[in-house]
Parts: sequence; structure tokens; C-alpha cells
Amino acid sequence: MNGSSTLVDNAGASQSRRVFWDQDVYQLELERIFSRCWLMLGHDSLVPKPGDFITTYMAEDRVILSRQSDGSLKAFINSCTHRGNQICHADSGSAKAFVCNYHGWVFGQDGSLVDVPMEERCYHSDLDKSKLGLAPIRVETYKGFIFGCHDPEAPSLEDYLGDFCWYLDTIWGGPEGGMELLGPPLKSTLACNWKVPTENFVGDGYHVGWTHAAALQMIGGELAGLSGNRADMPFDDLGLQFTMRHGHGFGVIDNAATAIHVKRDGYVNYLEETRGEIREKFGPERERLYVGHWNASIFPNCSFLYGTNTFKIWHPRGPHEIEVWTYTMVPKNADTETKRSIQREAIRSFGTAGTLESDDGENMSSATYSNNGIITRKGRMNSSMGKDREGPHPVYPGIVGVSFIGETSYRGFYRFWQEMLDAPDWAAIRANDDTWDAMWTNRNFWPDRLSAKQAEPQD
Amino acid sequence: MTETRKPVGMELHHAIVSHYSAEVRMLQNQQYRKWFDTVIAEDIHYWMPVYEQRFSRDRRPDPTPGDAAIYNDDYAELQQRVDRLLTGQVWMEDPPSRIRYFVTNVEAFEIAPDEFEVFSNVLVHRNRRQSEVYVHTLGREDKLRKTDSGFKVFSRKLNIDARVVQDKNLYFFV
Repeated sequence: MNGSSTLVDNAGASQSRRVFWDQDVYQLELERIFSRCWLMLGHDSLVPKPGDFITTYMAEDRVILSRQSDGSLKAFINSCTHRGNQICHADSGSAKAFVCNYHGWVFGQDGSLVDVPMEERCYHSDLDKSKLGLAPIRVETYKGFIFGCHDPEAPSLEDYLGDFCWYLDTIWGGPEGGMELLGPPLKSTLACNWKVPTENFVGDGYHVGWTHAAALQMIGGELAGLSGNRADMPFDDLGLQFTMRHGHGFGVIDNAATAIHVKRDGYVNYLEETRGEIREKFGPERERLYVGHWNASIFPNCSFLYGTNTFKIWHPRGPHEIEVWTYTMVPKNADTETKRSIQREAIRSFGTAGTLESDDGENMSSATYSNNGIITRKGRMNSSMGKDREGPHPVYPGIVGVSFIGETSYRGFYRFWQEMLDAPDWAAIRANDDTWDAMWTNRNFWPDRLSAKQAEPQD
Repeated sequence: MTETRKPVGMELHHAIVSHYSAEVRMLQNQQYRKWFDTVIAEDIHYWMPVYEQRFSRDRRPDPTPGDAAIYNDDYAELQQRVDRLLTGQVWMEDPPSRIRYFVTNVEAFEIAPDEFEVFSNVLVHRNRRQSEVYVHTLGREDKLRKTDSGFKVFSRKLNIDARVVQDKNLYFFV
């Protein structure tokens, strides 16, 4: 496919509607994004013991993630190297070996082919089993979160997460033990393009008050004022928004970590007890983030809400459908009762029957399917909010937008999305490492704003 | 499971089936408040657990209410879901979707004086917007209490027959 540069207009802050609809765009995404980026596979907590495995997807490829006897992790394609049958049909479990249902080929925990039925009589020593292992996948972890990647030229996971590590450390490496995932995942299908929920989580503080008006009204608490956009709030002073080199991004609402949770005493206490440790380790700027509520996406298709603690993987199923997987992210060292309470509240709001999630799914489907009209599809979508009110910040890495209601991280997500589609390989992407943020021209926004604040008379 | 218990008599069975018919008629007519006030007991546990696909040899226990569940609501939580639908601000239900329920295979057993365990199958057909159609089948395990104001459910376990839910949400009552 040619002309991907017309799909995203960075300077004009718009995207072609084709990005949500066209089959050839999707095909290019599979080849250039999903085959080359680090994709979320899970967490150590889901495969704690040797022999433990889960089955998952990397885009539409079926994958087995397996804990080895030495404690390391391996991932491989879940498809027999003989005639292609899917090998493992269980969601999770513990297995010494994986046996294909079709002819009974046996693969070890590490994906190697260890046994073939009647090998001597059928193959007469002609089968080189060492060349017929399940196709391996690069696996690396960051603070217990497990990612897989197909591209040997891709940077390390830590370099891929890049500037986002500075932020993720606050929550994943913050209090002793960090965070873990609780499964099993809820799974459902949603008729939408995979980027609609990803962009929503990466940077949409704007929809919260309107889309979720009913739920916020019922839940009450800190965000009730947003319901129906009724409250006159000074958004510029209530949070921030961030975007990174590789398209990751998030928005934070100050002091609102647990705002969506109704029963929250245990979690509130946990955050209060641990925030001092965060301040000591990381300073006041990240303590601010630690007690805020985050809406975040890790490029390309993993999203989470820190505070609410729902954790999503949006597995693409063609350009117009996804499979939604929902885990819950909990502090590893919180007590069992607190963890269960967080899980219950996270699913109540953002599970398959979630009081907020249900509102979102409807929009995501509708924002995709309106583009089946050929005239509609020739139009563009706008993401210009807060465009000149963002820039590099003296403390926070990446590009920082002044409000959690803004589209800074939308622009950063699509900037990298286009870069990935255009680049022939990772070398071409690395070549842009020093100039990636050139589209943000208001370089003095933060220095000016911070010195103006300092000059304000103190009460 | 071989059932050694004796089902309730014809009259009680009929009363329970009629109760279910009246219940789904309220839901089909979007009378959520009336439904909640009429059929839900204050000690309700409304539960839809998540069952993984596991190998038969897998010895891990079945899900408990402490595990991930699509619904895991007490009385106040279920009431909050009803209240949300009645705020007039649930855009996804405006215009409202059409929903139809078919409750079959009702088997009722007395477990205590005026308390019954009732198994049923439920088929739910949802039509939304112009042409969206979703069909779900569920196994339902109720515990009902017979009161002066009719049957009240104090435990409802819903087993949805799908590992991957084939719908954009399950925000409807069964």
C-alpha cells in the first residue's frame, strides 16, 4: 500500500477515516506494526511455576507462553510444524508437553519437537526433529510484565518502552513488589477497529464526562462533577497528558486514583501507606502520578487504567473487529482482601458488563462502522485539542500536554503509527530517534508557563 | 449430576414458572425498577463467574465469588446498575434495544421451608440499533424465597455458554 503519509496529518492533527476501515491499511499494520513491535503477553503472576502456560494471541497469531524448568520464559507459535493444526486449546494450565490432536506430534515446554508417533516405521530416520520445533518468539519482561516480539532487529523491550519506563516505574516498580495481573481474562468480541479503544485509552479524558454521564452520576465521588460536563472545572490544573517516542501515552487526573471504585477502603489505605515510599524513591513529581488516575496505552494494542486498574489487550480480528481481553492489575503486596476488592470494582466498571465499559463499546463500534460509506470514508477525523499547549517539560520525559482533557497523546500515537507504517525496518525508525518530536514546535511552552507560575504572587 | 431429590409439586412448579414469566415481561418492557423491587431479595448474590477453557485433567478448583466474575453484585450494587439505566443519560440505550427472554427446563427443589433451588435455561435475544442481533444462552441456578409478596431471588448464578462473549456488552439482567 502506498501513500500512508496521507493517512495521518501531524501538523494538521487529523487522520484519514480509512485508518479505521481499509483492509490494505490493516494488512500493512499486521506486517509493519504487529510483526515488529513488542506486544503484551501477560505477567509473571499468570505463569508462576515451571510448566505453567497460557495461550494468547499476537494480533491474529496464536501463541503459547510457557514457564521453563529453569524459571525462564519461552513463547512460540501455537501451530504444529507438521500440518498446521493448533496444538493447545486450553486457556491455561500446567503441561510437561504439548501434543497435537491431529497426528500426535509432541512438543516440549520449550517448543522443541520431542516425539513423533511411529517415527522409525513412518519416517525411516529421515526426519530432522531439531528443525521442526514450534516457531520461537522473542520474550522479555519489564517489572514482571511479559512481552513478545517477532522482529530480531527490534530494540530491547526496555528501549522500546523507552521514556515510558520513567513513568511505569512509579506504579510497576514503585512500592515493594510492584504490580501483577489477576486473571482469568474476561473475553468478548467488539465490532470495532483496534485503534479506537487504544486511542481512547491513550488520551481521551474528554469523553469521560459525556459518554459516562450516567455511570459517574451513580458512582459519585471525585469524578461526579464531570458527569454531563456540568461542573465548571479548571482542567489545566487538574492533571497532565504525556506521549512518548514509540507512541505510548497516558493522561493523569490528579488525586483521583480510586475515583471509579465504590468500595475502596483497602486500596485507599494501601496508596496512603505507600506514597511516602514513592516520594522517597522517585520525588514529588512521580508521587503526584502515583495517587492520580491514569488512562494509558502501550503501543500498539495494550491499555490500562491505573487506579481503576482494569488492564486490556485489544486483539485485532481484521479491520472491523477485536477480541477484548480484560485482566485486573493489582499491587502485588496488598493483602488478599484488598486485591479481590480491586478486582471486583475494576470488573464492575470496566468488565464485559461494566457500568462504564458498556458505554464505550457502543461508541467504538459506531466510530468504526460509520466509515463503511465511501463518501464518509473520504473525510478526516480531528484530534487537535490542546495542540499549542504542549511541549517538552523540564521534569517529565516525552511531550507533555497541559491538561488531561486534551489530545496530545492521540497525536503522539498516530505520529508513531505512521512512522511504523512508512519505515522499511527498525534501522529507519532508529534514524529518527533525535528528531521524532520535531512536530511539537511550541518548545518554550513549559519553561514559559512554569516561570510565569513562579512569578505569581503567593497567598 | 443424578438428582435424587424430589422436585416440588405441580402447583408450586406452576407458580414458579409463572413468576419467571412475569419477571421477564418486566425486563422486556424496561420496567427495571419494578423488576428490582418485585423479585430481588435484599440478600441477593447476583453472580456470573468466568470459566476458563481447561483440560479435563486440570485439577484447579472451579471459580469462587472471590475470583474474576462478569457479575458479582450484592443488593446495593445491583440497584446501582438499575439506577444507571434510569438516569436518562445512557446513550447506548436510547433509542432502547429490544430484548426477548425464553426461560425453559425449569426444575425446582425445596431446600428449606419456603426456600427453593431452581434450575432453568435462558435464551436471550437482543436486537439493537437497526440490525444488530445478539443471542445468548445461559444456565441459571436460582435460590428463591417464598414471601408474602411473592417469590424473591436471593442467589442467582448465571453460566453463560461462551468463553468469548459474543456481544459488545452484557449489561442486561437475566
